[in-house]
Amino acid sequence: MKMKTNSNKPFPERYIPIREALCDAEEPLFSVVGDLGMDRRYGEAALCFYKDRIAVFGEHIPGGGKLVAYDGLKSVHVKRMYGNAYFAAEKKDGAAEKLMRFTFVAAAPADAGADFVNAVLEQGYSDELLYAVENTFRELRSFCPKCGRKLPSPDAPCINCQGKSKMASKFAKYALPYKKSLFVCMLLSVFATAMSLVPPYVTGYMVDTVLPDRDKKGLWLMIGLLLGVYVLQFTVSGVRSHYLRLTGDKIVVDLKKDIYKKSQYLPMSFYDKTSTGSVINRINSDTSAIQAFVLKVSQEAVVQLFTLVGILVIMLVMNWRLTLFSLTPLPIVALVGRSFGKRIRPRYLRIWRRGASISSLLADTIPGVRIVKAFSHEEASAKKFDAYCGDWLKEEQRISRVVSAFPNIMTFLVTCGTLIIWFSGGSFIINGRGSITVGLLVSFISYAAMFYNPVNFFANFNDSYQNTLASAEKILDILDAEPERDFGKGQVPDRIEGRIEFRNVNFSFDRSKKVLSNVDLTIEPGDIVGIVGTTGSGKSTLINLLLRYYDDYEGEILIDGKDLRSIDIGYYRSQIGFVQQEPLMFRDTIFNNIAYGKPGAHVEEVFRAADIANAHGFITRLPDGYDTLLGERGVGLSGGEKQRLSIARAVMRNPAILIFDEATASVDSETEHLIQGAIERLIRGRTTLMIAHRLSTLRKANKIVVVDKGRIIECGTPDELLEKKGKYYKLVQIQSMGERLQAQKQAENFE
Amino acid sequence: MLRYIEGPEVRITENDGIFLDLEFYHTKDKLTALEPHRLFPKSGGNRYVTLLNSEGEEQAIIRDVANLDEDSRRAVEAALDEYYMIPRITRFISMVDTFQIWMWTAETDHGTLTFEVRNHVATVKPLYDGRVLITDASDNRYEIPDYRKMDPRSRKMIETML
Repeated sequence: MKMKTNSNKPFPERYIPIREALCDAEEPLFSVVGDLGMDRRYGEAALCFYKDRIAVFGEHIPGGGKLVAYDGLKSVHVKRMYGNAYFAAEKKDGAAEKLMRFTFVAAAPADAGADFVNAVLEQGYSDELLYAVENTFRELRSFCPKCGRKLPSPDAPCINCQGKSKMASKFAKYALPYKKSLFVCMLLSVFATAMSLVPPYVTGYMVDTVLPDRDKKGLWLMIGLLLGVYVLQFTVSGVRSHYLRLTGDKIVVDLKKDIYKKSQYLPMSFYDKTSTGSVINRINSDTSAIQAFVLKVSQEAVVQLFTLVGILVIMLVMNWRLTLFSLTPLPIVALVGRSFGKRIRPRYLRIWRRGASISSLLADTIPGVRIVKAFSHEEASAKKFDAYCGDWLKEEQRISRVVSAFPNIMTFLVTCGTLIIWFSGGSFIINGRGSITVGLLVSFISYAAMFYNPVNFFANFNDSYQNTLASAEKILDILDAEPERDFGKGQVPDRIEGRIEFRNVNFSFDRSKKVLSNVDLTIEPGDIVGIVGTTGSGKSTLINLLLRYYDDYEGEILIDGKDLRSIDIGYYRSQIGFVQQEPLMFRDTIFNNIAYGKPGAHVEEVFRAADIANAHGFITRLPDGYDTLLGERGVGLSGGEKQRLSIARAVMRNPAILIFDEATASVDSETEHLIQGAIERLIRGRTTLMIAHRLSTLRKANKIVVVDKGRIIECGTPDELLEKKGKYYKLVQIQSMGERLQAQKQAENFE
Repeated sequence: MLRYIEGPEVRITENDGIFLDLEFYHTKDKLTALEPHRLFPKSGGNRYVTLLNSEGEEQAIIRDVANLDEDSRRAVEAALDEYYMIPRITRFISMVDTFQIWMWTAETDHGTLTFEVRNHVATVKPLYDGRVLITDASDNRYEIPDYRKMDPRSRKMIETML
């Protein structure tokens, strides 16, 4: 097999002849290029991996390179330290050798290389071993080959190279439904702009004709005309602003709706890599950036271009020589505008950063005010806040200088431009050269002042495009992401009995490290299965696959004999009741939180579910009963109470399969007893899977599965496993000893 | 229970690179192949250095490496130096921003290199004493001992990021 990408970086040229001589010009399967010498100075080094050997290249090796054959090796490993790592080989004679040193830039491919060599040492070479390596390299190759821009994921299209038109077309679809309003707004803008071009011309006419002729009627006429123009211009501008705002809001709402909807259908693997906070930010802030840009392009750019061209044409028609003179400061204005834009951006970022520090302090201390009080940290919090505000103020004052200076500098430059027009135009008039009149000069000065706005707009246009590009990419990351497969497309069986079968299931999050290996497990309908194992053993991953959060596992998972991936995902999940360790309560009433499991449920169904879940009693004692409003964190309820509500929510679904993930891990024994009672009533006749650390919660289980390092190491009835005296037996021994001690202690304390 | 090492009660010797051997004078207890890790790699220097065995379990904490006898101190410092690589940036050559991705080229005490800085708002952390801690896109760490003492050009470049 030949890998498409077989190196993390181009192989160092100076080692090519050495490699060819050492390896008889044989191409390596893949290479890992390092960036440190053994003395930890930056430099080039490399490892080339073959079926039977590694070729090592570096300055520390006499001759620049050497071969290490696999048959002399016991194993290889990557030792990660702080800011650097090394690839080391342990030989069969017990000797260890460091082969290459590197920073974390090469750590992932080196890990893949080590896994490859160890796998070859263990089971011999096969092409399949290269898949994991290639996947690691693919992950690294997330740069656009054309422009070098970092891509959100490997092989993702580069929105920069797709061209502005492609990106625009992606967002244009949000503007399209409002094309009529946008077109009308644009026409209104053009009209208002055209109106704004009239007054300077009228002023010139008045100065040249009406005033010298002492034409009173003409003066009234001109004033009337100007009044009419102003009324039209500002009325039209007002109407346009109103419609533009409405349209803009509609566009941003459509965009937000789309992103939100898409985010609900994205697979869990997306959320593994993307923080929920960043998704929220994309829906809230980045959409506004896009809206602003869409309006900027569709409206302001058109208006500014129209203004620019309009003024230029009028000025050229009036007097081309004077036009050239008045354009003299143009390059300076454009350059100053641009340099200001560049200088101000990092400063705004610094202010934003100081502002963000204040916000995060607020976000920590206000909701956590109980902790602040409990630890008497009021004074310390206030001092910290003072310091953060001080930092913000300092930055604000620094930027204030630049922000205040800039408009004045620009105005000064534009004013200097008018001085040039006065000088050149005035000289023409005094010397009687050219056909320049005083009125024309006055008009010119007004037009020249208007001319610089669009110039400044276009000078900074690229910067705002770049800023929008960042927002656009974050949004497209969601809009273009693959949703969960076959929503509404798979089979919908009449009912699910609850027979679950894992057949040789292997799973890894990034293919380089297996989280589940060769899992074979059969669960019959109505079985109560306890899944035990240490933290990180793969218990939750097993459940995640069963919940279909991940689809890209090897092997098969069968539900009632049907491939899980062939069943409609929406229907399938509706047949599962899932109770987590940390129950999430929505910002809604207790009633709605329970009814979330079955929208439109009858009131008495909710009561019944709450009763089964041992929740009805405490709800009735709440002043607002089922109308009690819960916050995001279920304010006012204890952990056990929230847990019982989440069980009630699961009851509402009347599920065929029940999954409990450490449901009683964070509650006291009395509450555990209440929850346990609720669970026992709920699980009757349903296939149930329970992950538990406390083995006492598994007393009803008829089957125990012990998971260790991604493998099922024991499976059977509790009695069988106790008899076997394996891992489960040990766990029971440890826990019962612990419980005995605890009971003893409690008894002593009680006495 | 935590076991602290004050200084004179132990002899620490080099084992191999980042590993150390330790012997308590009074009890004659011997521990081998311990890996020293700083408990405060950013702020604490060589104070509070934990010693881990091959299973990653803590065996003891050295309160301050400076209090060890000369030979032990050297051995611990050498192992820490081997383990931690935090290049000190002495000069910035360039900072190029392409589509919000920064490529910085800098001179460090380990040589010159170019590294990628993503989201510099979160990864470039100025401290009150003028130190600046930088984490690059690959999770490598860098330090500017005092940005106020850098040459004017470098200082200007980094100041826009703080």
